[in-house]
Amino acid sequence: MTEEDAIFDPTLKKKKKKKKTAFDFDAALAEGSGDTNENSNAVSNNVAENENKEDDQDDANIDIDLDFSKKKKKKKKPFNMEELDGALPDAKDKDDGGNDIAENQEESIMDDNLDLELDFSKAKKKKKTKKKDLDELIAEADDKQDDKENVEDTSVSWLGSDRDYTYDELLNRVFEIMRDKNPDMVAGKKQKFVMRPPQVVRIGTKKTSFANFTEICKTLHRQPKHLLDFLLAELGTSGSVDGNSQLIIKGRFQQKQIENVLRRYIKEYVTCHTCRSPDTILQKDTRLFFLQCETCGSRCSVASIKSGFQAVTSKRAAIRAKTA
Amino acid sequence: MSIQNLQTFDPFADANKGADDDVQDGLVHIRIQQRNGRKTLTTVQGLSSDYDLKKIVRACKKEFACNGTVIEHPEYGEVLQLQGDQRENICQWLTKAGLAKPDQLKVHGF
Repeated sequence: MTEEDAIFDPTLKKKKKKKKTAFDFDAALAEGSGDTNENSNAVSNNVAENENKEDDQDDANIDIDLDFSKKKKKKKKPFNMEELDGALPDAKDKDDGGNDIAENQEESIMDDNLDLELDFSKAKKKKKTKKKDLDELIAEADDKQDDKENVEDTSVSWLGSDRDYTYDELLNRVFEIMRDKNPDMVAGKKQKFVMRPPQVVRIGTKKTSFANFTEICKTLHRQPKHLLDFLLAELGTSGSVDGNSQLIIKGRFQQKQIENVLRRYIKEYVTCHTCRSPDTILQKDTRLFFLQCETCGSRCSVASIKSGFQAVTSKRAAIRAKTA
Repeated sequence: MSIQNLQTFDPFADANKGADDDVQDGLVHIRIQQRNGRKTLTTVQGLSSDYDLKKIVRACKKEFACNGTVIEHPEYGEVLQLQGDQRENICQWLTKAGLAKPDQLKVHGF
């Protein structure tokens, strides 16, 4: 395909898409209240109803969109599967109806993918942050551009022709739509959660120092005490913060290991469980910790920190001498 | 065309399904503790008391070629204790033996 095509095509498709969604919306508003029995309309009606619901819930808040799509997924999955079978013949007759289902499906499938991808990027990111953040950023941006071009190429190609669309094309298309609608959404740019790697140094043979402990607490917006409790409970050791605000842990630990534990901490106590945004507040409410998300407003309780069973690892004679 | 809300739905389907096959309830915490030098200790807390932990530890010792013991704890019940870093091993073994599901296992430590 020549470049001109690539540039020309997307505009075509975008227009089409916008029209379609506009139609949906109108249909939704018109038919949302009264139930229609016509088959293909019913399909679009489902979409419409869902959209209506969304409209009610959200006051044009883009940030919440991710959250919504998730809700949608839950609602839609069950009936989509059934309906798709029944509706497919109709879909072929009526382009609009068919595309609607397709869109639905895409979205639901896509959400799953999105989750995975986010996760992945998170895991990846950490490693990246270690060395070359800037380079990576640039590279990523390039990637994104490439992606976009690809998307436009592939997603449009089946619109005009008779052939069936492939899964990848649908997937790309939905990403495209999402990027179009709300440019600063998580799916569009990869959500960046840059963190300094923990600086872990051995002190002597038996102790480990976590030098930028307070700094990391600050970037995570968490109380040092909370993170300290978690670290010590997970590692099953003892330790304390010394005068230079570095954490001294008993035992030998490597940076990689501390990183792992930190990652688990972030997953449980920093990122929102619903939308994965790191913009959260940890509150204590009647002995329980609650994670309040600033982006999507969700609030959920998080596990309390328990060190659990601790085996005796030091000399028993020493313990006996201490207690007696 | 079926309407989602009017489908017949058995609210007890999950309950019926969950009861029959396994005894294990709650999480199994698998922890690691450092000892002197590069020695470590693995503890398994939260296995159901319906299991005979002594038999489990005997099997584990043989399988992983390590020593181990069962410890009575007033709060946490019986706790398995194995020498060395057996976290991977014990996870695989517990799932293979069908004593716990993978999502019931919670591995702590680095």
